[in-house]
Amino acid sequence: MPTKRAGASPAPPSITKSLSSGPKTLPPNASVFDIAHYVWQQYLATTSERTMLLDVFMVFLVLVGAIQFAYCVLAGNFPFNAFLSGFSAAVGQFVLTASLRMQTSNGVPKEGTKVAKSKDESGQVGSVSHERAFADYIFGSLILHFFCINFIN
Amino acid sequence: MQLWHSLLQLGLLASTAVPTVAASAWGFTDATVSVHSKGSGVGAGLKEKIPDNKGLSQPIDLGDADTLKLTLTSQEGSTAKRAHQVFLLLQDPETGLDISYPFNVKDNGKARVELAQKDLPVQFLSASEPLDARLLIGSFGSSKAYNGVAFQLSVTHDPNVPVPTVEAPKYGKLPEIHHIFKSDPQSPPVVVTLAFVGMVLATLPFLAVAWLFLGANVSHLPAAFKSSPVPHTIFLGSLFSIEGIFFQYYTSWTLFQVLPAVAVAGTVAFVSGSRALGEVQGRRLAGQR
Amino acid sequence: MRWSLSFFLFGFLAAVHALSSSGNRLLVVLEDASEKDSFSMFWSDLEARGYNLDFQSPKSDQLSLFELGDRAYDHLLVLPPRSKGLGPALSPKNIIDFMDKDGNVLLALSGKSTTPSAISSLLLELDFHLSSDRSSIAVDHFNYDTISATEKHDVLLLQRPGQLRKDTKSFFGGEGVLAFPRTEPHTLGNESPLMAPILRAPATAYSYNPKEGSFSVEDVGVTGTQMALVSAMQARNSARFTLLGSVDSLRDEWFSATVQAPGGKKTETANREFAQQLTAWTFKETGVLKVGTIEHHLAPTAEAPDVELNPAIYRIKNETVFSIEVSEYAHDRFIPFEVPSDDALQLEFTMLSPFHRLDLQPTSRTENSTIYSTQFTTPDQHGIFSFRVNYKRPFLTNLEEKHEVTVRHFAHDEYPRSWKISGGWVWIAGLWSVIGGFLAFVIMWLYSAPAPAASKTKKSQ
Repeated sequence: MPTKRAGASPAPPSITKSLSSGPKTLPPNASVFDIAHYVWQQYLATTSERTMLLDVFMVFLVLVGAIQFAYCVLAGNFPFNAFLSGFSAAVGQFVLTASLRMQTSNGVPKEGTKVAKSKDESGQVGSVSHERAFADYIFGSLILHFFCINFIN
Repeated sequence: MQLWHSLLQLGLLASTAVPTVAASAWGFTDATVSVHSKGSGVGAGLKEKIPDNKGLSQPIDLGDADTLKLTLTSQEGSTAKRAHQVFLLLQDPETGLDISYPFNVKDNGKARVELAQKDLPVQFLSASEPLDARLLIGSFGSSKAYNGVAFQLSVTHDPNVPVPTVEAPKYGKLPEIHHIFKSDPQSPPVVVTLAFVGMVLATLPFLAVAWLFLGANVSHLPAAFKSSPVPHTIFLGSLFSIEGIFFQYYTSWTLFQVLPAVAVAGTVAFVSGSRALGEVQGRRLAGQR
Repeated sequence: MRWSLSFFLFGFLAAVHALSSSGNRLLVVLEDASEKDSFSMFWSDLEARGYNLDFQSPKSDQLSLFELGDRAYDHLLVLPPRSKGLGPALSPKNIIDFMDKDGNVLLALSGKSTTPSAISSLLLELDFHLSSDRSSIAVDHFNYDTISATEKHDVLLLQRPGQLRKDTKSFFGGEGVLAFPRTEPHTLGNESPLMAPILRAPATAYSYNPKEGSFSVEDVGVTGTQMALVSAMQARNSARFTLLGSVDSLRDEWFSATVQAPGGKKTETANREFAQQLTAWTFKETGVLKVGTIEHHLAPTAEAPDVELNPAIYRIKNETVFSIEVSEYAHDRFIPFEVPSDDALQLEFTMLSPFHRLDLQPTSRTENSTIYSTQFTTPDQHGIFSFRVNYKRPFLTNLEEKHEVTVRHFAHDEYPRSWKISGGWVWIAGLWSVIGGFLAFVIMWLYSAPAPAASKTKKSQ
């Protein structure tokens, strides 16, 4: 590992540079760290700001779910229905938000100047418009909330 | 109760019978008791002479494989004579159970009985106290019958072999039964719970901070309300009221109060939502999003 | 007029009927009519207690225990016959059938003659065992009557029996000495809880066959207290059968004889009183239990002081009260039943096997009954349960009561609400923060402007 990393260490600056000119492939002998770094940079570069906000919301849901699960493991699942509804509310909301993300970020936005145009196109290319997807998302979420509240007693 | 009565009778009779060795009373002489173990030599084992019309003071042990042999001469007054009843009576002083073993009596009054442990009833094998071994000598006519303790018989057995017991079925009180309930589930310590509640609630500010950091804002709000104020107000209002109805359902309402309310609010949200989202789409198409 | 007359008649009959709890038709089977007079005090005692005595010879053609398929008599008293048997009307099978139809039987034996094999086989069927030669008598050289049996020692003097066990009622106790002349002893089978000895021989007694001219007994079957002189068998339908070893003890001469034990004082016999106790028990004047009302309900609480009586359904973990009213018939009326000190009336709450078995405690008394009750929590197991009181004791008629109820689970609105359980707070907070986050997300999605974000991304590049 250390030898590999030492060998690959000069690579990052070139990758960051190449990022500005769009995605580039990694060298086949890239280390795990490099891959992670590359993926992260790629994410920052190619994700629209609105999708990032959505991703933050998903991170929030993962956190809420993880804390609830950790509490269940640590302190027992005594009102088990409460655990199920609390945890599945987080998981379900996550799944719904993930679907919304799939339906609203299918177009890969290029650089800042191109944003508006590409969005225009992607909005038409998908069979469902962003707003329709959002309406479905709200509908699904409300049903999820109703069932979770019903089940938590 | 019956047992106590009969014991009492026995005691009274014994106390009156033993001291008066008059001419018209039954008794015995030449009595010897011996315990012979299976497998041991002829001379081995215990052999005791019982004094006339009296008893031995020390108890006699009867083991698993032992045979007890008792010989005596029954006599009426001081003349040896055959009696109709020459019994060895074993009695458990605790339970009052008794059993008699008749002697083999000859014309001249010589009598003998042999008794192995297997001849004893099962109830006696588990007796904790030594059994009373009494001699009963009596016959028809006016002579006084003899009833006295000859010796104590303690039944010993191999401690490794379980003692058989009998349980005669009888109606009676049965042991009480109290149902053992499953223990109620316990909540974890409140401190732990509150710590986790704090962690869960802390994710909300985290969300807000992360959004603000990434530049989230509500800058389009004035624009949206300017272009189509009614649908946006009603759409947001109905969304919040649906969640509020859910909260009411959680705290107090029944399902039948909730369903119509949600149906109304849902319809309003649907109608106003399509308008409001149309405005949002207009903004998106205008490149403002 | 006719009304009042019939009322009067009815009242009169009721007064006469009042004694036994199960009827007053008593068939006395007596082979030798000339013997009847020697029992005159016994008959007059029975008649004074309201029995209609019907004397029949076992050889009589008209004699039948049944009429049109039902019992023709309520009770049967058989005195020992001299002939070989009791005839076709009193075959063992007929007597057993008579008991199956709730008839009570008192059978007396005598040591003076050989007991017929028909009677012996009847006794075997009920698990009473006579000696194999059926003509043994009990003797005791220590407890005999020195006045009447100086030589033969065959009149046994016995104390009145007390309690059989500490947890049974004594129906035969009292002061005085019983004289049992020429008794044929018997033993009881070990396997049946239905049988109970009433009077046992003393430990020093033994039995022998006087016809065998032996100078010394060497082969005795049974001795001492294992010999029973009077025993009882109460069938599962509470029909009673009493075996009396000495019919002579019922004769007038022994009802008030003066007897003396060796080395004892002269005393009067208590045979008359004992005969009364024995017939009273056998013919169901004593020891008859009756269940009155049975109630079960939820334990009243401060919030719900009024409870439904005998509901068909309970919930798990309900506090439940059960009470049962029990009376005991004593000679001519019902009195409150008292459980013997070491015994207990027990309630079982069963589904296949008992989940609870609890001693019922007397809580109140009425003029002629005791109300026993207990309180318990229904088990945490739903299903079809039954309240069961199964009280079978020697000398008392059997009580068997079974009342089925359903025990259901918690209904959905009977659980505590989620916020009352501190363990669930985390998940409640999780659910509501998801909902709150969702609402915030909706607002953000609808109204967030991208413009500054775009400049930010530009800057970062």
